[in-house]
Amino acid sequence: MGGAGLAAGLVAIALASVPVAGAHEGHAPPPGAGVRSRYAFPLPAPGSYSLPPIKAAGDGRVLDEDGREQALRQLLLDRISVVAFIYTRCGDLCPAASLDMSQLQDLAAKDRRVSRRMRLVTISFDPEHDTPQTMRDYAAQFRSAAAAAPEWLFLTAPDRAALAPVLAAYNQAVDAKADPASAGGPLSHVFRAFLIDRAGQVRNIYSLDFFDPKLVLNDVRTLLLEDGAGARSRRRSSHTNPPASATSAR
Amino acid sequence: MTQVTSRQRLSPRVRGLLCGTAALALLAGASLPALADETCQSPYMAKITGEEDYVYVWTLGVEGMGDGSDKLVTVDVRKGSPTFGKAIKSVSVGGRHEAHHGGFTDDRRQFWAAGLSDSKIFIFDVASDPAAPKLVKTIDDFVEKSGGAAGPHGAYALPGRMLIPSLSNKSKTGQAALVEYSNDGTYIATHWLPTDKDPKGAKIEKVADGYGYDARILPRKNVMLTSSFTGLENYMRPFGEMAKDAEAMKKFGQTMVLWDFHARQPKQVLHVPGVPLEVRWAWGPHNNYAFTTTALTSKIWLVYEDEGGAWKAKEVADIGEPGKGMIPVDISLSADDKTLFVDTFMDGTTRVYDVSDPHKPKQILEKKIGAQLNMVSQSWDGKRLYYTSSVLSNWDKTGADNEQFLKAYAWDGKELAPRFEIDFSAEKLGRPHMMAFGAAALYTQ
Repeated sequence: MGGAGLAAGLVAIALASVPVAGAHEGHAPPPGAGVRSRYAFPLPAPGSYSLPPIKAAGDGRVLDEDGREQALRQLLLDRISVVAFIYTRCGDLCPAASLDMSQLQDLAAKDRRVSRRMRLVTISFDPEHDTPQTMRDYAAQFRSAAAAAPEWLFLTAPDRAALAPVLAAYNQAVDAKADPASAGGPLSHVFRAFLIDRAGQVRNIYSLDFFDPKLVLNDVRTLLLEDGAGARSRRRSSHTNPPASATSAR
Repeated sequence: MTQVTSRQRLSPRVRGLLCGTAALALLAGASLPALADETCQSPYMAKITGEEDYVYVWTLGVEGMGDGSDKLVTVDVRKGSPTFGKAIKSVSVGGRHEAHHGGFTDDRRQFWAAGLSDSKIFIFDVASDPAAPKLVKTIDDFVEKSGGAAGPHGAYALPGRMLIPSLSNKSKTGQAALVEYSNDGTYIATHWLPTDKDPKGAKIEKVADGYGYDARILPRKNVMLTSSFTGLENYMRPFGEMAKDAEAMKKFGQTMVLWDFHARQPKQVLHVPGVPLEVRWAWGPHNNYAFTTTALTSKIWLVYEDEGGAWKAKEVADIGEPGKGMIPVDISLSADDKTLFVDTFMDGTTRVYDVSDPHKPKQILEKKIGAQLNMVSQSWDGKRLYYTSSVLSNWDKTGADNEQFLKAYAWDGKELAPRFEIDFSAEKLGRPHMMAFGAAALYTQ
């Protein structure tokens, strides 16, 4: 395709964008400008918004850091889970995502009522390279050992065949880059993380630019409030106030 | 910069990892520009950073022309290809559905194409063979599942999801909604636009008409901006007939709504009279503004965050001679936020504005493209532009002025130089509308 260079990055974080910096040369940053410090509106309070179910969380065989084979769905039981797909050879999106996960873990550790009812899960989609030992080493770079921190699992797959249904269930496409020596790593992917409730339903999907630890923790708290209120029926209804005028002429 | 500061507040266990060159680039790059291709697409999508291979054209079928059906047409734009500038594939969906807009999923593996008349949504696989998309699913219960929304206007990628702004509802009025689906085509939720009767907590500047059209997000500000058009009762009527109907002409949008995107909560209803249509957020990491144009008043409007953090809308330029009713339709903002292309339907003209100062657009070129004109798409590098002709089946011109084309140009910052054109009528394809770019190398396994 005519010398095209490709990247499966996301715009707002623009992590691999140094080569095309000229596209925005001359944009002087105003004082105080930033991504997460100045949302247009303050983050809404937990429980003040709804997170309708999107789909059932996928299952598949995975390996934990000790090399034990487990069913992913079993590992997601009983707590609200934040699941992120990465590979350790990634040079752009994944380190940023894992950093966000570590900040989420730190933030959650400040509230024991939340931290003991949630978990973080990082899953590699590069099983040939990311062995259980590699994941353990990777975990050591990010995971907090604080007693109050929520648990954080680092998983990989036994092989590509075992991984395929997991990726399919989470609609996580991974392609080999034309240039395996690419600075960002050999694989092309869109970063996605998933919020999964205790019933195994996906309740939110995040790109990296919305993977703000404060925002994600608000979502976790929203689900905890929902559980506490026993409002399971409420999330079945996802039409937000159909207007009367939809059934009658304006 | 605050953003970098937040990344620098690292725990000791992480700080060690991020000492490498890549990490430094990552930190520094957090405020650098985006990689993207056509500048009108969702910021959540996988991106082409080089040249496009194909242009997909969602095309409205014409009775008696070819198979008469709506179709997704693949145009080959690979330099050096023996079929460069030719339509190399078309996939009919069977029947006419008022083909209009569409969009890719965030992983760019599917293209969702919507029909305005019967509310069907057609999902094409563009990953298996980017030169030859395949229809893999049709959503035919949009109205039922959404709780009464109708007229799906486009498809906008969210993480793992698609956002479908509707133009209408089952009563065919302009009361509209935003409808969410998962990437596998499962309905998730409906969010109705705020009205005077049901403002949903939004602050109303003058009026909340509840109409819908475009919906676009500025992720780093957690803000979504929607615009407003009209309902099925108007957009499926012959234009000349409707234009003479004073009551019908009152049923057009005059609002734009700012939403807290994460909560899907409308926060502010701006008064933008004259039917604000396409929304284009600036791409610059510190450019907190969007452009739109108003179809019935022929003006460029700016929606922006002022120095105090308040969001406002103001008109910043007339398009063509004031009062002439050029009907601006599609717009395209360059990746560097400096150049805005504005198409006007009635005179088939594209106007190019220097918007380096977004508050003071300056026209730098006016060029007639054809007898009628609607859509414009540009490459991320701003060097290639593509134009199509059709607005709506009952609003397009008739007789000799009913030209139906795709025309490709090269842009050097001053002039538009023709590259190729395809006569969609002569090729018996139909009325070309929405364009989106494809690239084979996105899907290398």
